[in-house]
Amino acid sequence: MTFRDYISVSTGNLWRMKLRATLTVAGVVIAIAAFIAIMSYGVGLQQNITEQYENLGLVNTMMVYPPRDQQKVDTANIVINQEMVDSITALPGVRLVYPFNEFNVTITTADTSITTKAQALSVTALQTKAFSDLAAGETFGNDSAKYILATEALLHDLAIESADSLIGDTLIVSIDVASLDSAIARVPQTMLENIHDRAANIRMDSLRNRDYLMHLVHAELKVAMTGFMDGLMNARKTVSDTLVVSGVLRGRFGGPLRLKPIIIPIATGRNFASAGYSGDPVNMLGAMYDGSIFEAPSDSSRTFPKLTLELDPHHAYEPIRDTIEALGFRTFSFAEQLKEIRRFFIYFDLGLAVVGMIALVTAALGIVNTMVMSIVERTREIGVLKSLGAGERDIRILFLVESGLIGIIGAIIGIIGGWMISRVASIIARTIMEREGIPPMELFALPLWLIATALGFALAVSLIAGYYPASRAARIDPVNALRGE
Amino acid sequence: MSDGRLQAIGLCRYYHRGPQTVKAVDEVDLTIAPGEFLGIVGASGSGKSTLLNLLAGLDTPTAGEIRYENTPLRALSRQELASYRAHKVGMIFQSFNLIQHHTALKNVEMALYFNDTPHRERRCLAEKTLTRLGLGDRMHHRPADLSGGEQQRVAIARALVKEPEILFADEPTGNLDHDNTGQIAELLTDLHRRGLTVVMVTHDLELARQCTSRIVNMHYGRLQSENEPPQPRKASS
Repeated sequence: MTFRDYISVSTGNLWRMKLRATLTVAGVVIAIAAFIAIMSYGVGLQQNITEQYENLGLVNTMMVYPPRDQQKVDTANIVINQEMVDSITALPGVRLVYPFNEFNVTITTADTSITTKAQALSVTALQTKAFSDLAAGETFGNDSAKYILATEALLHDLAIESADSLIGDTLIVSIDVASLDSAIARVPQTMLENIHDRAANIRMDSLRNRDYLMHLVHAELKVAMTGFMDGLMNARKTVSDTLVVSGVLRGRFGGPLRLKPIIIPIATGRNFASAGYSGDPVNMLGAMYDGSIFEAPSDSSRTFPKLTLELDPHHAYEPIRDTIEALGFRTFSFAEQLKEIRRFFIYFDLGLAVVGMIALVTAALGIVNTMVMSIVERTREIGVLKSLGAGERDIRILFLVESGLIGIIGAIIGIIGGWMISRVASIIARTIMEREGIPPMELFALPLWLIATALGFALAVSLIAGYYPASRAARIDPVNALRGE
Repeated sequence: MSDGRLQAIGLCRYYHRGPQTVKAVDEVDLTIAPGEFLGIVGASGSGKSTLLNLLAGLDTPTAGEIRYENTPLRALSRQELASYRAHKVGMIFQSFNLIQHHTALKNVEMALYFNDTPHRERRCLAEKTLTRLGLGDRMHHRPADLSGGEQQRVAIARALVKEPEILFADEPTGNLDHDNTGQIAELLTDLHRRGLTVVMVTHDLELARQCTSRIVNMHYGRLQSENEPPQPRKASS
């Protein structure tokens, strides 16, 4: 028998038992449709993440942080400063290093005023892929330009819908800084307040008493300190600049690099940073403790909470990571994270595949049942075929082709069904995302390998399911079969 | 040992039914010469069909040997035995054993699936054979639409289409009326006359005498006697 004969005879047999074959195929269709829908979700999700990493060039990006516990003696002096930036820049395989420099700013437009976070970056840093995804406009041209780059987060904060409408708008960017001048100036002012009342309360006869004298000194120091803190906290001076929006970066949450809503050219930003301490008043105590609040900000003394490294894609990231970590710093590599994500997706997809496979195994039982029934009904026919010269191999292949056809037909319809389910789910997901203000993305993907896998699985499972009935059919004794036993 | 086409030497086929052993074929020695028309007669249960199945390679002997042109069938693999049935042997049965959902043409064509006949030649050969047996106008009918005699002729066509060297007929007229029996007997005689080796099992001694060149009698699995060929009966007007 030729393969064409097997197909022709098997198709004829399936056609004769239309209802039973249709129901069995339906089982495979449901299983494969479920498998495709589930798997295309997993694959789509993975593809989305991988594309995002690749589009933003994150695979070549590494973050560097100071040691976690700065209070420890052995790590106290490990800080990210300009010296360290220079030494990391010199490492082989490092293309670019830019520090993270954020501060609170107030944005005032013609209509509103909001407080948000700003970040200073150099033009060189903006030329990397991470900043290439612009929703509108362009990046600023030089480090001292009077332009800013906004992210979609700012649009949201300002309740502006179109990125284009923000391009060219003038924003007044200002910061309140606490300076040592304002704090010191407030000390005599505070001390002069109520000085008469305090003087009247002094017991002159007790001034010779050392304890009483110390009590008075403490009380006055307390007043002076209150004035100092009041000056530091409340008598802040405002530094402002008028900047024009040159472009809007995509990503409402700042993307994986956690970009702040406003990006200011690094030299322009330095004007704000050098004006004084603009951070959170709570953190100010820490700055006071380590003395950094009193230091005149300069490039050499400035420390940064983190660095972003742009690496050479042809250079392995591991040696760079190891070198930096040997210096006592912590690192975070997006390439490593992507590797972890991919590893996770292997298990995730495997889990999804198992769910799909359970349905396929159930369908396989249907195939076994159908084929066994078919043997019972066609025992005499098998006997006739054997008397005509059919070998065990012919009968086995005939039944395997029959079960294989059930699998293939079921898989083809199932793949189409699964694709349709994923389309409907995708439309629903996109509608929900749009309603929630999340940039719509394609959650499902049906690559060719997934189609081939589904076809392969369906064929393999149906052949495995058909193997026992086919072997049973092949072993049928022709004499008994012809006798109708 | 004679140079027959097919030889059975000490052939046995036993079945075990619980503690009992049924000797369906017991120590049978038989030689079938090329071009011979052998009739195997005997009562029901005498083992004639079992002997035929053994000779046709459908069943396996418990002991003894079958030689086809001096090749022992026991030495053949299962695939080679299937090939023996596909190329050398044609079989017809009392109950015709046609595949009910196929047309007469397809039933005949199916015999060519297993003997390497090229796909394009199968239909033509099947049509020719059916036409030769007077079924040219019935070839697209299903077995259920044919009379018993026509069904048996389709079965004969199916056996002949692959041009076998031996035709085994197991009670070919058992389910047929008198007229159809006569037609099938004439057909088999004609095939024998043309040189085909035919082995026919029947319990109808008269039919055996009418058609065959030699008759052997089976009784409880053993060959009892060999009769002289009967005189051919005159065709009824």
